[in-house]
This record gives sequence, C-alpha cells and structure tokens, in this order.
Amino acid sequence: MRNKLWGWSVLLAVVLCLSVNSVWAATVRGVTDKEIKIACLVDLSGPGKYGGPPIADAFRDYVAWVNDTGGINGRKIDLIVEDNGILPTTTMNAAKKVILKDEVLAIAFNLGSAGSSAIVPLCAENKVVLMPHGANKGFYHPGNKWVFVPHTVQFSMASRAVEYILSKNSKARIGVIYQDDDFGKEGLEGAGAAATFMKTKLVAQAPYKTGTIDFTPHMNTMKEANVDAIVLWTYLPQSAAIIKQKVKMAWDVQLISNNTTGVPPLFALTGEAADGYMLVTPYAPVHTDLPGIKRIKDINKKYGNAAKTLENPAYPDYLYLAGWGYIEAMVQGLRKAGKDLNPETLVKGLESVHNFDMGGLCPNITFGPKQHVSSFSSLILKADGKAKRFVIVDSIKAPKTPQ
Amino acid sequence: MANFKVNYREDTALFQNLWVKSWLVIFIVTMLVLPFLLSRYQLSILDEMGIAVIGALGLNLLIGYTGQISLGHGAFVAIGAYTSGLLAGTLGVPFIISLPLSGMTAALLSLIVGVPSLRLKGLYLALGTLAFGFIIEYILFHWDLTRGDTGMAVPKIGTEGFFIETERQFFYLIMFFAAVATLVAKNLARTKIGRSFVAIRDRDIAAEAMGISLSKYKIMAFAVAAFYAGVAGSLMAYYQKWIVPGNFDITLSIAYIAMIVLGGMGTVLGSILGAILITGIPHAIVYLTDALRGTYPNLSNLIVDLKLGIFGLVIVLTLLLEPQGLVGIYRRIKVYWKTWPFKY
Repeated sequence: MRNKLWGWSVLLAVVLCLSVNSVWAATVRGVTDKEIKIACLVDLSGPGKYGGPPIADAFRDYVAWVNDTGGINGRKIDLIVEDNGILPTTTMNAAKKVILKDEVLAIAFNLGSAGSSAIVPLCAENKVVLMPHGANKGFYHPGNKWVFVPHTVQFSMASRAVEYILSKNSKARIGVIYQDDDFGKEGLEGAGAAATFMKTKLVAQAPYKTGTIDFTPHMNTMKEANVDAIVLWTYLPQSAAIIKQKVKMAWDVQLISNNTTGVPPLFALTGEAADGYMLVTPYAPVHTDLPGIKRIKDINKKYGNAAKTLENPAYPDYLYLAGWGYIEAMVQGLRKAGKDLNPETLVKGLESVHNFDMGGLCPNITFGPKQHVSSFSSLILKADGKAKRFVIVDSIKAPKTPQ
Repeated sequence: MANFKVNYREDTALFQNLWVKSWLVIFIVTMLVLPFLLSRYQLSILDEMGIAVIGALGLNLLIGYTGQISLGHGAFVAIGAYTSGLLAGTLGVPFIISLPLSGMTAALLSLIVGVPSLRLKGLYLALGTLAFGFIIEYILFHWDLTRGDTGMAVPKIGTEGFFIETERQFFYLIMFFAAVATLVAKNLARTKIGRSFVAIRDRDIAAEAMGISLSKYKIMAFAVAAFYAGVAGSLMAYYQKWIVPGNFDITLSIAYIAMIVLGGMGTVLGSILGAILITGIPHAIVYLTDALRGTYPNLSNLIVDLKLGIFGLVIVLTLLLEPQGLVGIYRRIKVYWKTWPFKY
C-alpha cells in the first residue's frame, strides 16, 4: 500500500514538472502575436518620487504614439509601469514582479544605480534586457550581454565638464566638490581622468556626505586653493546651497555641474543667483526648437497632458526627456529584432542600432556587440537667471579623454 | 484521546502528541509539493519569507527570550551576506563552508555589542546597537573591498555540472535551513540555555542570584542571534546573487523588530508568523493593485501612493487589536477548538 502511494506521488510530481516545463518551452516570455510586454521601473513612492512620474509620462506618451501608428512589426506594446521605490530591496521586489509575475520581455528603464546593480543577475538569469538609469561605467565596462545604457554616464559628463573649462582657459585651476558615494566618485574620476589627459591636475577636492546643506568648509577649501572653476558632482539641494554660499562669499567662481541639477526648482531655490551656473547634460532644453524636441512636443500634445507636463514651467522636463531617450532606444531595438522577437533577437536588434537620429534631443544612439553604452557625448548648458531657464552654450560633443 | 504526560521526557518533547505529528507530516508533504503548484513569482516570495524566518528567529531569541533590545540586527545580516560574498566571490570558498563561516563571523562581531550590553540596558542598549548598525553600513559603503553602493556579485551555489539556481531549488534549500533553524531555536528554548535567557529577561538580578552568569548568557544570546542573522544574510546573498549596502540599512532592522513584535515576542511560532506577515504585506499590496488596475486604475494608483501608509496601518491595527501578536490569535483559535462546544 505504502509503495503504491509513493509511486503515485512520484508520478504526479513528474507530470507536474513536465507540464510546467512544456508551457515554458512553448512561448517567448512577454511576446505574443499581438503584444510585447515592456516594463518601466520608476520611483512612485520612495525618496526618488520626484523623478518617477515624468519618466512614466514619457513612456506612456511614446507607447501610445507607437501603438496608434501601427505598433512594432504588427505588435502593440503593453507597457507596465511599476513602482520600484528606488531602494535596492524595493527595486528587487519590483523587478521580480515584472519578470516572474507579469513576464515582461525587457525592462526599458530602471531608476537608481544601486537598485539596477542589484537586479542585473535576476535579469541575466531570466534573459531580460535591462536599461538602467543613473547608470555608471560598471554597467557597460566590462559589461553584460543583457544590459544596455542609452544614456551618457557620469564619468563621460565629468570629463566633458573639465575639458570645456580648459578649452576656455587652458590654465584654469579646477576644484571638485562631490558626493561621497559612487555617483560622486564617478564624477571625480571622470574629472580627474580629463585633467590628466589635458596634462593638468585637479587642485582641490572636497567630498560631502549625502544630505549636507552647509557648504561653508567645502567652499573655503576651494577658495584657499584659489580655483577658477568648481566641478560639482552634486544633486539639486547641494548645488542650490553651493550657489547661495558663492553669493554669500561674494566670489565670482564658475560652477559647472551634472544633468540632475538642471531642473526648474533650481531657479525657485536660488532665483537670479543661478545666473551663469553651467551644467553638462545629454538632453537639450525643452524650450528649443530642435526637430527632436518638436516631435516630442507634438506627441505629448496629442497623447499626453501637455498643460500639466511639457507646457508647465514647473515640470521637471529633463526627466521626461530622459525617459523618452530610453523608450526610443528600446523601440528601435524591437524594430530591428524583426518579427521573430525573443530575448536573443532583441539583444541583436539593439546591437545593430547605429547612429539613430534623435533630432538633437540627445546624442544619436549607437550600440554594438562590444558597445552597450549609446554615447559618451553631452551638451553644455548655462543658466539664464532672469529667464529662469537653461540655454545651450556648446553643442553635443564627446570628450577627448579616453572613456 | 487523553493527552496526559507521565514523565518529563513527554512533557518536554518537541512534538507532543499524534495531532502535532500528523500536522507536521502534512506540512512537510505540502512543502515538498508546493514548488510544483506555485508560480516562480509565488515561490520567490516564499523564498524571501524563509530567509526572513531565520533572521527573525535569531532576533526573537535575543529580544523575546533574553530581553536584550537590538536595533542592529540588519547589520549582522549584512555581515553574513558580505562574508559569503567575499569568501565565495573573492576566494572561491564553497557554499557549504561559507554559510557557517558567515554565521560565525557575525557571531564573533556580535561581541562588539554583546560586551557593552553587560553595562547597558533598555534605550541605551537600543542606541548602542543602532550605532553599530550605522557603523557597519558606513563601512560597507566606503570600504574598497565591499565596492561601495554599487555592490558586489555573489557566485552561484554548486560545482561544475550542478548549480542551485532555479526558484524551486532555492525553495528547498532555504526551507531546509529555515526548518533546521526552527528546530534549533525550539530545542534551545527548552534547554538550560533557553531557560537562562528567559530568567534574565524576567529579572536579571534574580537570575544572577540563582547562579546564572549574566555575562555568559547575555553574550551568548547576542552571538546566537547574530549567527542566525549571519546565516540569513548568507542565504540572501546567494539567493539574490548581488549585494549592495542599501539592502541592509536601518529599515531592515526595523522590519525584523516588526516581525517579532507582530508575530509574538518570546515564541518560535511568533517569529515565523511575523516574518510571513511583514514579508508578505508588500507583495499582497502588489496583488491588490494589479487586481484593481483594470477596473479602478485611479484607486490602484492611490494604493501605490499610500503603500507605506497601508503597511504602517496594518502594523498599528495588529498591535492595537492583538497586543500578543499573531501567536495570540493562533492561541485563541486553538483554545476555541480544543474546548468546543464549551466556551472555556
């Protein structure tokens, strides 16, 4: 009797195993004849909540336009926007949900470097293409088959900042104030690499802890080193605090920072004091009439809520544009993958995207089997304190420093 | 069937009667069959719960049984995870060795808070352990070896030809260790060590007067709790295959405290129920939002906005309505059926 029971149990287990495996073998995860499931993981509830909604807006508008204009090789995109809470643990839960429960083909955006690092093995194991934002060099160098970065990373932008300053004044004394984490350190490394390449050196460095808002000692360090320009690898509150400190010290020093600080609240926090503040970014300002920007505005007007988004002066449009760059890159990969869409053909499709024209919105997108970062190029913008907006002072260029 | 106990052995037995043994067999069979019935996503949630059970058991031995408050449990989980990451990733040490070593490293480092605990109590001890958690987090962020907030990779478990990599394989592995951890905790609680822990918790001066060495047992409680946390951290590292310091911040320590408070302090079952509840709430919210997304998209978005608030509300309501935790509810149900149809 007992042996019989065991026999039935084993038979049941084998049948269950086979049935589960056969279901897996028959389909491509996230792809049907009519649909492609794509995920966008952004922060809708955590400390990065400010950045999540504009990115999601861009994804929704772009996907609505793609679906309305025939989809991709006959398939419509089923977009799943999931809250990743930006922290590594919450990002892991969100990634598991979209990969294992929703069964998406790819994650076209994930906000947060640490969270992105944490989910790379999960994506690789399940053959899910991942596009991380807040990306650092580690994502493409040495790289991973499943990770694509359609965004100029901090290292490249910091190199560009230093090269730009030195192009204007070859004897400029440059200092760096940076956040004491991987984001800030990558900025410092990029700035240092460019200084070395240009046969000079950074004359002062001042790290700060996350959350610092008093920059008196840091600015004093810069002043003592008699710098002509300060490269800031900081976030918005810190940049605003440094601008105010500069005014307080009545010191006319050039500040140049990264893309994360190029948002409307900078002017709300500092007013006209922001005038002359420069930043390096891959994205052109939304008020320009570049073809790429014009196209975005048209699509936003038709499929989104323009009054609340791109036509709203307080809207963080840089994040919208960042989201746009990501979904545009993913869709090009999907198109190139052809009708026979699966994770492997998507990788090949993305790797075959070459010099895709972004109409001046950001550097053109090029991937390759040995290049999973779309570009090293960026623009230089300068704040117009009176008009409360940024203007382009140097067009899209790649740094000469080896990347 | 009468349930009389006629000797001490019967009274202290882990599985005291046929009912308990039958339920245990049903539970084991269910756990063996479950991976074939559930989806990979559902299994991944159970894997997470299994790891949380191990960590919560350790903390309950420290707080619930010995009465020593700790806000640094997450730090010991981190120590376990990074020990495994470094041993396996850098030195190629196999899982079977790195797992116990991770527990032991955490236990050894627990002396840093264990020894001061001899002079600290209550809020002061809480602050001391909290500070320890921050120090560990700082080290993980800034030590070159741990590679900052980008984190580090942890290799797969196994050797050439056989690797543990699927959710199903991890389910069996994690549940095996969770079962061992539960049995050890159950056993420990009924030994001299466990009774000494309880005596210290109830009145340390009286315990000392009875001949219980406070220093020995307090340090032992910290070491045992840290060992459990280290093992949980090691399993988490191998399971996630990538560890970042952000996984082990203060919220992890708070989550563990919430597990044992909501589950039931000073009970093994409470640790298990609490770990299941706290790990399960975020996933339950995900299921809820998904279910509502099609019909009530606005309500679904509102739930995402209020996610943390809902999480907190569930905890507050549970504490208000059932101060003894989930174990209290379990006991009441048990008594109800035991005495049915009588009320008492």
